[in-house]
Amino acid sequence: MGDNAALQLWAMRLLYLGLGLFIMFFSLLPMQTLPRGWAGPDLIVALTFAWILRRPEYVPPLLVAGVILLGDLMFHRPPGLWAALVLIAAEALRARHIGLRDLTFAVEWVSVATTLVIMTLAYRTILAVLLVDQAPLGLSFIQLVMTMICYPLVVLVSQSVFGVRKLAPGDIDALGGRT
Amino acid sequence: MAKDRNQGSDYTAPLKRLLLGLLVLCLIGLFLLWRIDSPRVERFRAQVIDRVVPSFDWAMAPVTGAVNILRDFQSYQRIYQQNQELRRELQQMKAWKEAALQLEQENARLLDLNNVQLDPRLTFVTGVVLADSGSPFRQSVLINVGGRDGIVDGWAAMDGLGLVGRISGVGDNTARVILLTDTSSRIPVTIQPSGQQALLIGDNTASPPIDFIEDADKVRPGDRVLTSGDGEVFPAGLLVGQVAEDPGGRVRVRLAADYERLEFLRVLRNYGHERVLDPGSLIQPSVPIVQGADPDPKPQLPAEAQTSEAIDG
Repeated sequence: MGDNAALQLWAMRLLYLGLGLFIMFFSLLPMQTLPRGWAGPDLIVALTFAWILRRPEYVPPLLVAGVILLGDLMFHRPPGLWAALVLIAAEALRARHIGLRDLTFAVEWVSVATTLVIMTLAYRTILAVLLVDQAPLGLSFIQLVMTMICYPLVVLVSQSVFGVRKLAPGDIDALGGRT
Repeated sequence: MAKDRNQGSDYTAPLKRLLLGLLVLCLIGLFLLWRIDSPRVERFRAQVIDRVVPSFDWAMAPVTGAVNILRDFQSYQRIYQQNQELRRELQQMKAWKEAALQLEQENARLLDLNNVQLDPRLTFVTGVVLADSGSPFRQSVLINVGGRDGIVDGWAAMDGLGLVGRISGVGDNTARVILLTDTSSRIPVTIQPSGQQALLIGDNTASPPIDFIEDADKVRPGDRVLTSGDGEVFPAGLLVGQVAEDPGGRVRVRLAADYERLEFLRVLRNYGHERVLDPGSLIQPSVPIVQGADPDPKPQLPAEAQTSEAIDG
């Protein structure tokens, strides 16, 4: 049984990596080379947060850092900064996931939203302090709001399609024990 | 059992925290390194992209194709109308072509009369667009030609008609083109016919604004915008677009290149101009001062001949 759980754990980690690459692949498709007035949600970050609040063992820090850093490199962002911010935020959420597990979804949503706001502010502030060329503020704001709006959808899909649910009493956790 | 686990996590928690701290420090260190020495990190980025994107390629082409077919499907509905429009346009174009041919002949005659030497025509490498920047904040595309094909950072990329952007980041098999619409793009331009020098500054909109115009009154909507070649950024005289004025009265450029559909890009080979550094070499060619004693100056002559050939070809 322990073997089975470990297998599932690694399967889910691989699935996270695969989903990250899949999202990157679709955003890299050369469909739109005209500048747009709007920005899509940052699905990778939403996915990371949704999973970390449900099954933190599926998204270890090294994996998160790797996926987001690859995103930084592919999407021509300043490499490392966004990855560091996402990693810090993810660990902050990981530390709170046991407390959030028993509360309603609304509370979870609010805490994710505040985390996103703080991350975006920190990102833009650091870039401004270091005098890096930045995208218009409006676009960042739109992306922030879109990510917040999409978060429940990402949660829904993670729960129903990929089976990433919160631990309920009696479930078997990663180490094979009952909660 | 539960107790066991708690003890286990108590034991590994500090270690995990330490590793996490190290990881965050590494990431921030990478960012700071990029800020300090960006060319080296950008080269690393180009190598990563060079490894990752071509492995996506087999799936990218069909998926993009399928989506484009779906998009084009709407236009099939009014295909007859479009055909009529195209025929009318073709008639007009034939008239223009006739005029252009006559002008070209006249131009050739006049140049011949004056015995004018023209700039050698620029040669180009054509690449296919593999991927876009993937984020709404950056405007760039990846093309499937790179260091292997002799692409060099800073060369100009055009579609059939107008300037598209500038090579920035060359991998072995791929290269990134920063589009003129990107917020980090600055291109020196000349506005014809008034001959004003200005800078074209990308701002993440479809028609980037022009700034630092010498005399803004002389610029009218409809004027042609060409690269000026200042600062040896690009060869001079590449078509960029037309001047347009936005409702706020700001001078912008309607780009000549078709940004809605960037499929094939031409990268112009540009090895720079021959420079005259000291006035002496204008009057007489560089001749070795000490005859015979110094072997170095003699090979200079063939080297110079080579550079001028490279520019010709």
